[in-house]
Amino acid sequence: MQQTATIDPISAAQGEFERMMARNIKGLNYFTSPAPVVGATPREVLIERGPMRLNHYRPMTDEVYRVPILLVMATTNRGFIFDMVPGQSLVEFLLRAGFDVFMLEWEAPRSHERSLTLESYVLDFLPAAVARVREETGEPDVSMVGYCFGGVLSLLYAALHPAQGLANLVTFTTPIDFSRMDLFSAWSDPRFFDVDRLVDTFGNVPGDMLYASFDMLRPAARTAANMRLYDNLWDDEYVKSFRMFERWNTDTLPLAGEYFRQTTKKLMWDNSLYKGTMTVGGRAIDLGGITVPFLHLAAEHDHIVPREASAPLLGMIGSPDKQEIMLKGGHVSLVAGGNAIKRMWPALANWLAERSI
Amino acid sequence: MLGHWEKAVNNFGGDALKSEEFVRGMSAATAATANMQANTHQVMERVLAAANLPSRADFDDLARRVAGIEATLARIEAKLGSGGPDPAKPRPSRSRKPPSKAS
Repeated sequence: MQQTATIDPISAAQGEFERMMARNIKGLNYFTSPAPVVGATPREVLIERGPMRLNHYRPMTDEVYRVPILLVMATTNRGFIFDMVPGQSLVEFLLRAGFDVFMLEWEAPRSHERSLTLESYVLDFLPAAVARVREETGEPDVSMVGYCFGGVLSLLYAALHPAQGLANLVTFTTPIDFSRMDLFSAWSDPRFFDVDRLVDTFGNVPGDMLYASFDMLRPAARTAANMRLYDNLWDDEYVKSFRMFERWNTDTLPLAGEYFRQTTKKLMWDNSLYKGTMTVGGRAIDLGGITVPFLHLAAEHDHIVPREASAPLLGMIGSPDKQEIMLKGGHVSLVAGGNAIKRMWPALANWLAERSI
Repeated sequence: MLGHWEKAVNNFGGDALKSEEFVRGMSAATAATANMQANTHQVMERVLAAANLPSRADFDDLARRVAGIEATLARIEAKLGSGGPDPAKPRPSRSRKPPSKAS
């Protein structure tokens, strides 16, 4: 059947003209107004030491689940991806669902902190955070929830501290087979990439350098995002969301030099976590020794941690109660934004609720 | 349309960016940047020493010492008993049950 409806060219042109005017006015507003305030959920900073920050968010219900949640952020980015703005905050969602929420996030390591190592993170910062959460809540165990490399740190912690206060372990988009991270693997090829020279010269690895690497994973993404922004400048919600994500994306943190050297050699070059030869502080890492309930949340279209890089993880965990949930979305949209609100957040809260009493 | 273009460029760019030629060039550029940084560092060290001004290494040393003092203060603070739960904070009861089990 042929479509008979016609579009009035005058009203269509009028609509387009109005949209163009709105774009121009809002475009001007874009450059003259401050970015939305992020990470504003009320909290108390419990530990502020070196690059480590442990936050405790104010509970939003009169009755909470017994087991508190400790979110562990990746070391390359700011923690506010978990706490964008009211209504778009995983932290707020979990608080309203009745959880007691803590977050371990990171600041840029200072120049003299270039000597921080994987051991500093796994054997010092994470245990200190867990101990403080236990002290603060009076509970013997916590649920640890790690994002991306925060997930790797959480796995290393869980493998080395099997009996120390872990009730549940959740990881998001966490790589295990680093050889399947094609581009990062190619760029860090030991035949060409001299990590020693880089770290010895710069001390800490500059955030700009890391940001450029992430940006190059999808060479057209920035141009396409800016074109979409122009097209949607009339839409306040779109612009607000774009600015939040853009701010988070571009605010890549530098990495402590020794930590970067170790992760490059142990994970990118030797792929030791996958091969079972990884050590931290001289202690062998056996993911099979992780026996607490385990959940991995993976993204279908993850350009940073491709599916192949995280797929073997579930099989390597020793827990009898383990599960992987594959959700639509990408590396970032899995944890924040419209998709996350609909899909990941409820899945996470439901899984944890059953295991937090 | 934009989505197709983006996908095509990303795919093409991804292949090009993981080629050995590109990786070699990228590593050479990183090495050149590192060399330049090292040379600038050496020159600046000499200039600061000639002007009798503290170098970056001196500031790093100071920062390390301040961090040491902060760590000592934190330990003293912990021993003085400021750690532990604050009684003035709201303490919700920790007895919540999942919706299906609560009913």
